[in-house]
Order: sequence, then C-alpha cells, then structure tokens
Amino acid sequence: MKPTTLLLLGTVAFAGCKQEFLEAEPLVGSTAANYYQTAGDAEAAIVACYNPLQQEVTTLQGSGQLATHFRWYFGDIVSDDADKGGSGDGDEPELFLFEQFAGQDNARMLLGEWQSAYRGIAYCNLALANIPNIDMDSFDKERFLAEAKFIRAYWYFNLVTTFGGVPLVLDNLAPSEYQQPRATAEAIWDQIETDLTEAAPRLPYRSALSLNELGRATRGAANAMLLKAYAYQSKWSEALPIAEEIVGSGEYALAPDYGSIFTLEGENGPGSIFEIQFMNASGGNWGNSLEGTFTNVFQRARGQFGGYGFNLPTEDFVSEFEPGDPRLGATVFQEGDVMGDRGLFTTDATGFPYPYYPKKYFTNAADEAPFGDPNPNGPSNDRVIRYADVLLLHAEAAYHNGFEDIARQSLNLVRERARGGDNTILPDVTASGADLLDAIYHERRVELGLEGHRFFDLVRQGRAADVLGPLGFVQGTHEIFPIPSAEITLSGGLIEQNPGY
Amino acid sequence: MRHLLTLTALLSVGFGSLLAQTRVVQGTVGGSDMEGGLPGVTVVQKGTYTGAFTDLDGRYSIEVTGPDAKLTFSYIGYLEQTLAVPADGKLDVILELDVTGLEEAVVIGYGNEKRSRITGSVGTIDSKEITSMPVLRTEQALQGRAAGVQVTQNSGQPGSTQSIRIRGTGSLNNAEPLFVVDGIPQSGIDYLNPADIESISVLKDAASAAIYGARGGNGVILVTTKKGSAGAPPQISYETYYGIQEPWKYMALLNAEEYGILMNESRVAAGLAPDPLLANPATLGEGTDWQDEIFQRAPIMNHSFSYTQGSSVGSTAITGSYFTQDGIIGGEKGNFERYTFRVNTTQTGGERFRMGQNVNITHLNRSALAENNEFTTPVVRALNMDPTTPVTRPDGEYAYSQFIDSDIANPANQIATTFDDWTTNRVVANAFAEVDLLPGLSYRSTFSVDYSLGSQRIFFPTYDLGIGANDPNRPAYEFRPVNSVVRAENQWANWQWEQVARYDRELKNGNELNLIAGYSALKNTYQNVVASRDSLTTNDPEQAFLDNSLNAAEQSPRASGGWGESSFLSSFLRGSYAIGDEWNVSATVRRDGSSRFGINNRYGWFPSASVAWNLTERPWVDEKDWIEFLKVRASWGMNGNADGIGNYDYTSIVINGLNYTFGPDQQQVNGAGPVVTSNPDLKWETVSQSNIGVDADLFEGKFNIILDAFVKQTNDMLAVVPIAGVVGFNPSPTNVASARNAGVELALGYQHVGEDFSYNINGNVSVIRNKVTNLGEGGQPISSGNVFGSGDFTALTEIGMPMAYFHGFETAGVFQTQAEADANEAQPDAVAGDLIFVDQNGDGVLDNDDKVMIGNPHPDFTYGLNFNASKGPFDLNVFLQGSHGNDLYNGIFRYDLNMTNLPISALERWTGEGSTNEQPRLSHTDPNRNNRVSDRFVEDGSYMRIKNVQLGYNLPESVLDRLSLEKCRVYLAATNLFTFTKYSGLDPEVGTRGTLEIGIDRGFYPSPRMFMAGLNVTF
Repeated sequence: MKPTTLLLLGTVAFAGCKQEFLEAEPLVGSTAANYYQTAGDAEAAIVACYNPLQQEVTTLQGSGQLATHFRWYFGDIVSDDADKGGSGDGDEPELFLFEQFAGQDNARMLLGEWQSAYRGIAYCNLALANIPNIDMDSFDKERFLAEAKFIRAYWYFNLVTTFGGVPLVLDNLAPSEYQQPRATAEAIWDQIETDLTEAAPRLPYRSALSLNELGRATRGAANAMLLKAYAYQSKWSEALPIAEEIVGSGEYALAPDYGSIFTLEGENGPGSIFEIQFMNASGGNWGNSLEGTFTNVFQRARGQFGGYGFNLPTEDFVSEFEPGDPRLGATVFQEGDVMGDRGLFTTDATGFPYPYYPKKYFTNAADEAPFGDPNPNGPSNDRVIRYADVLLLHAEAAYHNGFEDIARQSLNLVRERARGGDNTILPDVTASGADLLDAIYHERRVELGLEGHRFFDLVRQGRAADVLGPLGFVQGTHEIFPIPSAEITLSGGLIEQNPGY
Repeated sequence: MRHLLTLTALLSVGFGSLLAQTRVVQGTVGGSDMEGGLPGVTVVQKGTYTGAFTDLDGRYSIEVTGPDAKLTFSYIGYLEQTLAVPADGKLDVILELDVTGLEEAVVIGYGNEKRSRITGSVGTIDSKEITSMPVLRTEQALQGRAAGVQVTQNSGQPGSTQSIRIRGTGSLNNAEPLFVVDGIPQSGIDYLNPADIESISVLKDAASAAIYGARGGNGVILVTTKKGSAGAPPQISYETYYGIQEPWKYMALLNAEEYGILMNESRVAAGLAPDPLLANPATLGEGTDWQDEIFQRAPIMNHSFSYTQGSSVGSTAITGSYFTQDGIIGGEKGNFERYTFRVNTTQTGGERFRMGQNVNITHLNRSALAENNEFTTPVVRALNMDPTTPVTRPDGEYAYSQFIDSDIANPANQIATTFDDWTTNRVVANAFAEVDLLPGLSYRSTFSVDYSLGSQRIFFPTYDLGIGANDPNRPAYEFRPVNSVVRAENQWANWQWEQVARYDRELKNGNELNLIAGYSALKNTYQNVVASRDSLTTNDPEQAFLDNSLNAAEQSPRASGGWGESSFLSSFLRGSYAIGDEWNVSATVRRDGSSRFGINNRYGWFPSASVAWNLTERPWVDEKDWIEFLKVRASWGMNGNADGIGNYDYTSIVINGLNYTFGPDQQQVNGAGPVVTSNPDLKWETVSQSNIGVDADLFEGKFNIILDAFVKQTNDMLAVVPIAGVVGFNPSPTNVASARNAGVELALGYQHVGEDFSYNINGNVSVIRNKVTNLGEGGQPISSGNVFGSGDFTALTEIGMPMAYFHGFETAGVFQTQAEADANEAQPDAVAGDLIFVDQNGDGVLDNDDKVMIGNPHPDFTYGLNFNASKGPFDLNVFLQGSHGNDLYNGIFRYDLNMTNLPISALERWTGEGSTNEQPRLSHTDPNRNNRVSDRFVEDGSYMRIKNVQLGYNLPESVLDRLSLEKCRVYLAATNLFTFTKYSGLDPEVGTRGTLEIGIDRGFYPSPRMFMAGLNVTF
C-alpha cells in the first residue's frame, strides 16, 4: 500500500503549490512595467527612439502588410522633380495615384508614415516618462531626455507637414485613451518649438561627439529642426536668429566637393547636420527593425543593375540645372553614364525606356551586404538636414527680414562650393527683390534635388499651385495628404478627414 | 497522513475478509469461425479481480470464490459472454464473432467505451486500415478515412508536416487538433513509427473532447500504440518495403522558341525593342525543360520489427524501425530518415497493483530544400526560369538567366549549393502505477516526459556564376561572395504528472455507473541557441564549423537564443450512467488553468453532456429483423483552444534588438522597448459544439451507417484587432472574433464475409460550411495570402463569409477594340487586348471597393472510399480520396518579374479583335495590371485521387509450416497512382502555410507517385 500513500500525498502536495505553478514571468527580458532601472536601460530606451527612424518599409500593425513610405516618395515623386518609375504603373499603384494628385485615403504609404511616426513618438514618450525616475548621472539623463524630445519633434514635424493637425500624444496611452482627436496644426507646431527649444541647450555640439556617437542628435540638429519649423510657418523673424546661431557656431562647413557628400565616405561629413544612419550588414529580411535602407535598391535601375528603378528625375528637373552645373552629374544618371561598377547605363540594359535615374543614393555592387538579401540592406545614410539646406534657409530668412546682402552671401556660399573652383560656371547671384527670392528657390531645387524636400518647399513657399497645378494639384486640398482612412475608423470618428479627400 | 494510512489499512483488512470458499473451474474456449481453441482469451470472475488467460490450445483454469460465481470471457473481435459456473466446474465456451463491432472497445478520452454505447462522435481507424497502405507519417493514415477529418499534405518533401482540420477551420489561429498518445498530450507525432500504432480515435464533437478542456477545441486525436496483450504468446514480426517515387505531372510551359516570340511581343507592346538575345526565336528550339532538371526518381525504404508477448503477470512489446525517403526534388538533398526504438512493458503485482512503462527513442534526420514560397524554391524557380538558359555553360559551370534579375535563380545550382540539415533526438517516455482500492475503484498515477533536442546546420557555400569575378551582368542571386555557417540548437522539455481515479459499478438493477476524476500538471520549456559565422576557411560542407572562420579575430560570431515556458494545471470529472442497454448518459467538466492566460482569466471551465438511446431495445425496432442495431445520439459541450497562444502574449515584454547604428564604424547599439500592448484579459478561444447522430447496422450487420450533424461555434477567437496608430505599439491578440462551422458527415459500410471470397467497402463524405461571425469592434476584415506574382493579398477574412476566401477583381473578358478600352473610364490605362475588370460600384475608379469574392478555398465536400477484398491467399485494397468544389489560387508565376516563363495557356493570348476573350495581351510594363488579383488566377481545385492500390499474397499454411513461419505476406502497392483534376498546377492537394492561407499555390512541392513492394513476416 505504500506506493499508493505516496501517490496520494504527492497529489495533495501538488495541489498546494498550484498558484506559483501558473505564474510565468518571462524567463528572458522584462515586462514594460519593470524595465527602466539602470543607466544602461536608459541608453537602450533612447536607442529604441532612434530605431523607428530607419523604418521606410513598415510592417503595418494589425494587417501585417508591408508599406513603403520613403521621404522621397512624398518629397520628390509627388513633386515635379521625379516620376514614380518602377516596373510600370502597377508597381506601387497607390503612389502612382498620389503622383497625379488622385491619391486615396486607404493608401498603405500613408498608414506606414502615420504608424512609424507614432511608433517613434511612443518610444520617446516612454523614455521621457521613465528615464527621470532612473538613478543615474544627471548630465547623461538630461542629454537622453533632450534626444527624446528632438526625435519627437522630428516626427511631429513630419506629421504636421504631411497631414496637417494630428492627434497630439505626449504620454503613453491607456486603453481608454486610444481614440484621440486631431489637435490643430498650430498646437503641433507649438509642441515642436517647445521640444526643440528645450532640447537644443541640453544636447552636445557635434564637435563634442566621439566618432562612435556620430548620428546622435546634436545642438546643431535641434536648432536646424527649429529653423525648419519656423521657416515652414513663415516665422521669419524667429527663423533668422536661429539660422545665425547655427552658422555662427562654426560647427559646420560645406564639403569642398559636392559629389563626395553622397558617397559612403561622405557620410556624416563636415556639412552633415542630421542623417538617419544605415548600414549594409544587418542580415536580411523585409520589414521593420532593419539597419539597412531600401532606398538604394529602390532607386537603382532595373535589369542588370539589380534595382527597382523608382524616383526617376523628370526632364523639367534636369533642365533646371544651369549649364555646366556639376551638381547635375552628381544628382542624375543620363544614358551613356557608367553606373559605378554595375556597368554602362543604356535603356536596353535597364529593360525600360526611361532616360534618367537618380544618382545620390546609388551604391556599387562592391558595397552590397556581404551576406543575406542585399535588397533591404543598403548602406547609404539618409541625409535629412545638410548645412547647405540651413544656408539656403538662412538666405530665405534674411531675405524676408529685408537683409538682401546677407541673403546673397549665404546663397553664394552654396554656389561657390558647387562651382568647385571652376569660375566659368554658376556665377554669384547679384539679383535683388523678387529675383533674389527666385534665385534662392532655384538654388534649393538644384542643391537639394532628390533629397525629399521639393514638394514640401513648394507648399510652404505658397508656390505649389503655380508649379504643380498642371500636374493636378488643387489649392486648398493637396498641400497635405489625406489622413489614413483606417485611422479615422479606429479613432471612432473623432478624427475628421482633410478637406477635399 | 495518519488518516490516510488508517484508511488504507482498513481497506486492506476489508479485502482480506472477502476471500472465502474457493474452487477451480476449467474448460476450453473456441471461436465460432474456427476449429480448435482460441488462445489469449481473458477469463475473469465477474465482480472480482480474479482472472486468467487461455493457453495456446484455448484451455484455461481459474480459481473462483462464492457459490454464484460468474465468468466473463472476452477477446478482441468476439462478442463478450458471461456465464454462470456449473456445479461440476467444467465450462466450455464458443465465442461468437463480433461482425458488427458493437462490442469493440473504442478508445475515448481517459478510457474505453463499447461502440454500442458511444454518446459522442468518435471516428476510429484501426491498425488494419493503417497498414493497408504504406504510411509515411502517422497523420497520413487519417486522410480520407474518417468523416469530418480533412488532412492535407503541406508539402511533398519527405518529412513534411500535414495540416489536419477536424470539422472545419475552427480558429483564425492554431486550428490543428491535439494529439494524445497513450493518454499523454504530445506536441506532434512525427516521432512515432506508424507500424507501432494499434488504433487512432478522432474525438470530433465537443462532448467527446471536453475532457481535454482548454486544449480540445480543435478536436483530439487519440493514438494508441501496440502493446503485448495479456496472455498473447511471444511473437516476432518483421515488415519491410522498398519503393520508387516519381513526379506524376509536369506543368505545360512555353518552350524556348515560344518564350522568345512571346517575350519579344511583350517588350514591343511596352515600347521596347525586342531583346537582341531573342532576336531569332526560331533558332532557340525547345530549350531547357527545367522541371526535368529538378525532378528525379527517388527511393523510399522501410524496415520495422516488433516483439510482443503477454502473460498473466505482465507484457512486453519491443519494436524498432528504420525509414528513409529521398525527395523527388534534389534526391538526398531532401532526404528524411527516421530511426525508432520502443519498449513497452507492464507488470502485475498481486491482484491489485499494476505498473507500466513506455519508452520511445527516435532519431530523425532531415535535409530540406526551400519549399512553398514564390521566391526561393526549386519548384518555383524551375517553373519560372526562362527556357533559353541552359543548365550549365560550356565550361561546366551552372548558367544563369540573362533575363531575370531577381528571385528566379538557377534551381539546379540552388540544389547543389543547399546544405540544410536537421537532426532531432527525442525521448518520449512514461510510467504509471495503478492500484485497485475497492471493488470498482482504482487509482492511477502517470508521469511522462517528452524531451527533444533539435539541431540544425545550414551551410552557405561561396559560389559565383559570373564569368569572372567582375561580370557586371550576373544577377545578385547568382553569386555569394562570402560563405557562412549557421548552427542552431533547440531543446524542448515537457513533463506531465497526472492522477486519475476511476470507479465502475454495476448497480443491483443492472444499470452501470462509471466515474472518472483526475488532476494533472503539465510544464513545457523551450530553449534555443543560434550562432553563425562567415568567411570559412573552406567551401567543403563537411568542414563547416563555427571555429573554421577565417577572420575570427575581427568578426565575433553572431549568437542569439531564447527561453520560454508554459504550464497547465487541470482537474476533470466525468460521470456516465447506463440504463440497461438502452440509455447511456454522460457528463464531463474540466477546469484548466494556464500560465499563458492573462492574470484576469487564469482558469476556465469546460462542461459537456451527451446521451445515447439504443432503439434496438424498443420492441418496435427490435421486431424489424432487417435492423440489427439502431442508436441515436445527441451531445453538447464546450472546449477551449489554447495552443495558439504564445507563452507571454498576455504581457508586454521589453525586447532587445530595437537597434540603431552610430558612427563611421557602423556600430550597432542595442535598443530596448516593448513592441506590443499587454492584455491581462487574454484567455482561451471557446468552442461550443452540438452534435446529433445516428448509428445503424442493417441486414445482419452487413450494412453500417454513421450519420452526424453538428454546429460548432468558436467564440473569443483571438484576433489582432488594429488599434489607433497613435498608441504607437502593436496591438496584442484579444478574444474578440467568432466563427461557425456547421456540417453533416456520413459514413457507409458494406461487408460480405464468404467462405473463400470476402470484401468490404467503406465510404465517407463530409459537408462543412465555414463562416466568420464576428471580428471584434469595427469588424475590420483581415487580409492574408500576399501573392507576389499579383502583387497583393489574395484572401480576406470578413464577417459573414468563409475564412480566408479569395478576394479580388472580377474579370469580364478582354477589350477587343481600342474604342472599347477608351470608353472604359475606370481603366484609363487599358488598351485593346487588356482585361476588363468589373467596376462593381460603378464609381468610375477601380479600387479596393470593387474587389469581390472570386473563389472559396473550402470544399463543398470531401470524401474517401475504401475497398478491401480477399480471395484465397490474395487480398486487394483500393483507396481513393478527394475534395470537391474548392478553389485554388494559382500564384505560381512571377508576373511581376516580366521575363519569367509562362504556362502554355499564354499562347492563347489576345492577338487581335476576336482572337480570344480569356487571356489578355502580353505587355512588359502591364499598365492595365492584368496580373492583379482576379478570378483569372482562380481555378477549380476539385480532385479525386487513387491514393492507394495494394495487392497482397499470403503464403499458404503448407509453405509456412515448412518455413516455421506464423504468417507471411508479400505485396505490391502504388500510392497516388492516378489523380483526376482540372487544376493546371503540379498538385491539387495544396497545403496550408498558416490558418489564413488556404489553397494558395505558390509552387507547392507536389506529392510523389510511389510504387512499392513489401513483405510482412510473423514468426
């Protein structure tokens, strides 16, 4: 009978400890509720804020669909600088419709932009809520918090310029708060200004960064974002002193050779104010959490060049360049050019009749990922803010404040660099009045071409209807994109669609 | 503790006092169908534990107590008899053959039940059916055999899994049933040797499966392995077969000349010049048949032995097997090997104590080629590769395509450069001890472990199909400049401890009461380590070890790993009450707790009730002599489905790897944060099901009918319902969705037993309708099945419709003239020859709102038909199985890549007004998107397959005696001999890649046709 007794006893003993038996805390990792404890946790939380910046092909939450939403989709393809390209009109058809100003509010590219922006904001909010409670070096703590504010401002800037007023979320939401109404565009801009004003003095100068920190937010980057924020609101009196502060900081200089800026060696160069960092060796899958960019493969020609052939420069864009401007050759591949180590560009070799391809994000076969799928693993950093951009905004701000000399001075600095020592081309601008403003606009288009600025510049300058009207742009509607219809549904109707969509 | 001891002591004393007046009974037991004695018959004094077995000549001897002793004689396949012991102590018995199987014990959850008393819906497959065809995997034995059970091969590659749906797809998540082997829930049964299986029971209705509570929602498959039956003489048997497999179908594709003509036409239509390499199509000839290059004949072989014996004090079964199968693609690059060894022993200690042990050791090796996607598989590459490319260049190197720049690499080269090997070592073992406490009351404790180690080694060799290292034309898919090796080690360790008390009692009025109460605890843990390193010193796959990396100094190996665990704690109770032979009522309740459930819902209750009414006991049925047996059944129950829930889905885990790269050295810095929201309410999916059924045996049992109708409602189905993007994190699954499966199942059988010629024929048919009834707030439909050739999702799951039905554009022919195309405002880019897509809402724009149901992947009905005949020494089995009315989405062709090969139907393309109204023109840029998801790619997936034909010959007695053999049978068999289908792809039996990916053919690995010869010997 002894075994029976043991069995019965075992059962009783077992029943006694059942509560603990079912409590399964994760064996690896922590839950969000008990994570943020050490300085190391704080640093990892901040890096997580940077991570969504790399999302340009986003796995949409819920559906799991992949959405491509590069900065150049909105800034270049929707503008007069570039055509969509791809294998035909059916390749990224939603983008094709936006290019013709007939885009729909169910487009995945909008959802991708929306969701990755708010994902980025959520990590910033999480860091801002939890890092203050961590016992750590107060200087580092201040800097981390400032980085989170900078990134949050970056996302709200993208949101407000793309969609107008959006829900203003500054804390992590409880389930009862998931449905949020739109804030006004003014409220978003205010928040951007507040975050950047608070962040800038707590961030290090670029010169104070160690090599291994390049790519992190700096005082210059926060000020440049603030400059852009003022410029986009035409707050020129506020813009000018910020622009002067950046220029006067001595932190940045124009790289002598324009073409070098877009090489891998030119990354984080002397004129780099903020770049989204990418690398080519992160393994290979599609979707979120990659360290590589898809821009390289998307913008390379098809056929033997192994790309997808998007963002094709238009004739109009190519003809904007003044005769002999070396920036054209650094921006656009024309038939007969050699595409790096991938061979001679002929339309036959690409399999498509297009005459131009973008060059700034072209990479050689030799620079492809050493293993895994090379397509999602492009190495090129995304040059978000360059010093030339700041100089041209400085010129614009000076112009609007009535300082034409200062405006010409900054404008001509940019032209001088472009000249590359060849005084037969790109003479200094001497114009004044409206001609000077046009010269600044012209310079922005060629200097910053195919870097994702054009559409937004046209809108903020109030010229979009003039320039893009023939392409279908309707004033009062197409300055901003529609709010994704799925987000309107999920807001329980709290979000109202933009007019005209 | 003291109380317990006292209690047991008292019980012992109580038993002792019952022992009184004994006498010996002797006699012989025979069978109605045979001469001489029947060995191994169980003889038990009714109401006691006293038992004996008949010897080889059918003789027995047993000591009985009491003056009114009765003996019960039972033997598998014969009707049980209970007789009073005559005064002289001599009792000879002839047992009647159980033609109808009414007395046959059917394995149900935690016990057995006589077929005549079953109250639920239980499908059974016995070892005879399993061995009537060579079964490569245990699950395969179920295909077409049991009504309501749909088994689909997920791939024809050796060692692939099968997907099983019992009574339809009952979940958006995990829809696979629970496997229980000899009473122990198992994760997968690929470790079993099919020859070891005694029987399989499929618990289909909720009442039958309710005793498995939170894990029984998708139905339960109970597998019982062979044991040495008590009283059976020692027996050794050996089985072997050898066979050759081959592909049974090639797809009809363009040859090189046709390809050249069509590609030129396609380029010209897009404003491009004809490709210079295709300038003269007539000279291209047939070109390469890539299907010939990947498919081959491949061997399959099995050896299996078993030893069984049993006596009154215990039993032993020892079995072992070796199985090997090469793939019809890649041969040994797709090899699967299985070694199994099993020892099953039972011991009897005295009259009231029993123990048993069962140990399985399995070693599996699997080499695998990529399968079932449209990017990297040999199948899809062979079907899409242009036929103008030769397999190899004149210098002997593999060639690459001049036309296709992504995904579609040379499949022959791919096979040659694939080294992907899995090894699994698994021990599944259990031990039980059982004691009889009181007459009718027993208690059993079982401890079981399932320990599995899985190792994977993948080697990626360096190769370069370019002509020299700097060939600018080589596609990125055709060179790998750096080799690398990946090693992965996985460990699954599961244990379960279960206590079951059982009480069986025949009441004075002849009614029977059975009670079962149990308690079980279960824990699963999983750990893994993955490491990889590149730049190995050699390209020799045998030398592909992590330490052989050249740049060990600079490059640290990449390593990752994880660890997870889950636990279940359950208690359950079942009571059955039989009123005579007429009524049987049963009810169960189970309570399950799991660590996977959220803190607010840690325990769930799962009740069921069922009743059977044996009408044969009523005079108005009994008097009809054409009715042998008639029973009606009804059941209702509630189960859970918890196996699709992740271990930590209820909480929000901070994960690492949200990295970012800083600095010119591209330093990856770790970022960490949560990715999903948490859900403290997370719980099982609730499946409630009602079932009614009729079992009838007519015309002396020659004709059998089993008819069932059911409604199965799944509520609380887990779905990831999108939340507002402003939250910033991904939503975690919530219990919001519902679906309903309703159906009818019919099984019919006829058997004829003759002197020399016997045959039986059994058929079954199942009709199931599937419908999604709720998808949570907002009812947002779920898109799935993204097919690259069409560039979009092909399936939609939405309320009121079948799960994952095909969703896309309806076509309405081809624009015959340019005027017709121009007049269509919804298709601004269409020209003559393009497809007309129906603008369903007439708003002049073709968009998502114009997509409609273009097909249903769920069949109207599925069926199986099995015919067995024996005449003299010969026996024949023919088994066919099929599916009717299901659609397939043909996503094999990579239209997105412009220059891939095309099916022969492309020759029927539109070439001018009136040429065709079916196939559109070809255009390189496809501005009208003729290749978008539409009914153009939906095909009828109905098929009927002659799954097995087997002809056997049994050596006659005279020869057997001379060879000292008990039994010897040789046979020839053919599997998948013929398949009747209209589907154009390689195989209509398209498996699933996930619950919401049904019937989408991305170039599935087809099932082979096999021819085999086999031998079964019993010594």
